[in-house]
Amino acid sequence: MPQPRASEPSTPTTRLAELLGASRIEEMSDSETQAGGTDDGAAEAEVVAPPEPVINELFTTPPKIRVQVETKTSKEQAKTVDECLERLTDRSGRARNSHGLQRLRKAKHNEFLHDALGDYPGKFVLMDASRPWLLYWSLSGIALLGSTDITDFEDRLADTVTPCQNRDGGFGGGHGQISHLAASYAIVLALVIVGGDEGFNLIDRRAMWHWLGAMKQSDGGFTLCHGGEEDVRGAYCALVMLSILDLPLELPPEAPARQSGMTSLLDGLLEWISKCQTYEGGLAGAPGCEAHGAYTFCGLAALCILGEPHATINKSLDVPSLVAWLSSRQHAPEGGFAGRTNKLVDGCYSHWVGGCWALVEAAVHGPVSAPTAAPPPRLWSREGLATYILQCCQNAQGGLKDKPSKNPDAYHTNYNICGLSAAQHRYAYCPSQEPDMEGNLKAGFSWVMMAEGEREEEGRVFDDEDRVGAINPVYVVPVGRAERARRFFESKRGF
Amino acid sequence: MPLYETDPAWADVTPIELDDGGPSPLVAIAYSDDYAEAMSYLRAVMAADEMSERALALTEDLIQMNPAHYTVWLYRARILTAISADLSAELTWLNSIALRHLKNYQIWHHRQTLVDRLGSADGEQAFLRSMLDQDAKNYHVWSYRQWLVRRFALWADDSGELASIEELLNEDVLNNSAWNHRWFLVFGREGQEEGYKVLDETVERELAFAKAAVRKEPQNQSPWNYIRGLLRQTKRPLAEMKDFASEFAALDRPDEVRSSHALDLLADIFADEESNAGQAKVALAMLATKFDPIRASYWQYRKSLLPSKEAPAA
Repeated sequence: MPQPRASEPSTPTTRLAELLGASRIEEMSDSETQAGGTDDGAAEAEVVAPPEPVINELFTTPPKIRVQVETKTSKEQAKTVDECLERLTDRSGRARNSHGLQRLRKAKHNEFLHDALGDYPGKFVLMDASRPWLLYWSLSGIALLGSTDITDFEDRLADTVTPCQNRDGGFGGGHGQISHLAASYAIVLALVIVGGDEGFNLIDRRAMWHWLGAMKQSDGGFTLCHGGEEDVRGAYCALVMLSILDLPLELPPEAPARQSGMTSLLDGLLEWISKCQTYEGGLAGAPGCEAHGAYTFCGLAALCILGEPHATINKSLDVPSLVAWLSSRQHAPEGGFAGRTNKLVDGCYSHWVGGCWALVEAAVHGPVSAPTAAPPPRLWSREGLATYILQCCQNAQGGLKDKPSKNPDAYHTNYNICGLSAAQHRYAYCPSQEPDMEGNLKAGFSWVMMAEGEREEEGRVFDDEDRVGAINPVYVVPVGRAERARRFFESKRGF
Repeated sequence: MPLYETDPAWADVTPIELDDGGPSPLVAIAYSDDYAEAMSYLRAVMAADEMSERALALTEDLIQMNPAHYTVWLYRARILTAISADLSAELTWLNSIALRHLKNYQIWHHRQTLVDRLGSADGEQAFLRSMLDQDAKNYHVWSYRQWLVRRFALWADDSGELASIEELLNEDVLNNSAWNHRWFLVFGREGQEEGYKVLDETVERELAFAKAAVRKEPQNQSPWNYIRGLLRQTKRPLAEMKDFASEFAALDRPDEVRSSHALDLLADIFADEESNAGQAKVALAMLATKFDPIRASYWQYRKSLLPSKEAPAA
């Protein structure tokens, strides 16, 4: 994200990634070049290499048409293709799955994310306003890897986030930091992932509602904090909290937006989001800016909270150009996604772009009446994405990354895992799901997982051991968690 | 060594110690003593909503230690207004920080606040140029630049904006951020000013510009997206581009295809023609099997949208 990559409150992720990478080079040096390296599991050195190279030729050979002109962009692209091809054609004796790809090093990644929740030396002060993000990325990744009982973190998480909450509503990046929509989103989702009454009860919903009212702008969007910027992350983060915490949609009486004649927190929001779509088809952070994968996800997911995807997305966006733009972000031979036109693949877009597909496919194909329906073909290559993640984004010592030449961090680890999840699961919007929920903004809770059926083997390049958990594609938390939290808050008497 | 505790100027302030969250907080940072102390004084002055020179100095101290601290930047911006500080001096100070922390978001937002209050864009274009020289696709820089154009109505062809974009595209015709800004300069004003309409001749100029860029590099998606955008925006048929797109891809000469984007556009053009669904299918099949196979599922989907052969020819 954000490259905003949706990573503020405090630091653009690149900064954070640089920071994490730069300071941890010694302890987490990439030993990929050592054949037979130190991959997890001692048995793997004994694994017999598959008899024939099985990686699809599409991912091991340069594209048919290459850009000829020599510019900074084309040189960087050529360099990225080279570094990916080196990985994609690597036949060394590293542990492989039955499709010839590196296995998902679950134990190492799990360990890496546990470390990311631990203690940091003083030089990590630049992350001081991003601690909520580290909580969310790490807990989300750990939950999807599935080998740790995530409820173990219940008490420590509640203790950690309590001082981040402000009396006037919302959470900041830490004690004494002003409330910020991204920090609030990250903390609320971390609590949703871990679950537990203690964590849910610490959220002051009434104060949150008042504060969200203060973030509402007269043009329909939301600013991320008092005096801060307005962008589509604000819209998404606000909607996530309004819907999960089951808050009233009425604009609080003191909200400045009332002076512009607004009465609801949702007034003008759909229209504002639709203005973020650019001539290219993707969505930008704000009207006029450049189409970008992370903002596109935020915009689409926001629309899927505002209503049924086939209604809201088709109504507010030009879908053919959106689908064309999303599709263009997938590169060959790399296999992964880039965030913008003529930019490089990056493992974080495994989610930001990879996660858009479930939402946009629901808009294109319409709702289903039951989870048993046979899913229509995907609009993208899950084979390419899984190939890129498994082969190009895994660090030998644990953690996932942007591209082979980069260092891992919690941000890229989580969003690569979410992307792998997108390649392993199908979802559909099913209005008959969660029919007993009451109140507003229920659409995000009516998604079901579909069995792949006869498409099970289509583009499948992972084994069962490489599987990660399923998510709610709108809230991006393990399946069932957002629904559970919503029911908890719905059952609260009064407000 | 305590700096604030022993300073008489701060004697009246009771610092608020850090609450890091229970006995074993997650993601705990071992803050330096200097940072921890400065933060405890920041919490105290912010709690009192103090607007003073000493609070301003405190924010500078903290920004030097952690420039990614949004709270400190926003507090600083409020103080500057409250004490009527010299904003030009602030901007000069900010420039030195911006050059050291290119990807820091807060710096750009702060700059926007300052320049807005100063009410002048003088020197901003030159400064932006120097930032883009280091990172030509920085999203924060471009977002700021779009704000600047709106705020100071830098729409006119002689505002320097268009010339700057041509220079950037001359250096790197693949820079999509520059293409997006070009679009913004041409069409951004329509949403901004009631009754403003982009002239037909401007649209023609833009089409010519994008076509020239395609000739320079046919596999560059940016100008193709720009051309499609221009036609959609002005409600003109894609068919206008049939001859042009055919220069770079012809169905009967698959060995000479120089652009998958041309083939993509041709597929749409054939699909719009009454009896050319067959040719659209050929183009989509070429894309799926040879020229852009990673997107095979998408090309297949596009094929499924074509009218079926059985449809009666009226």
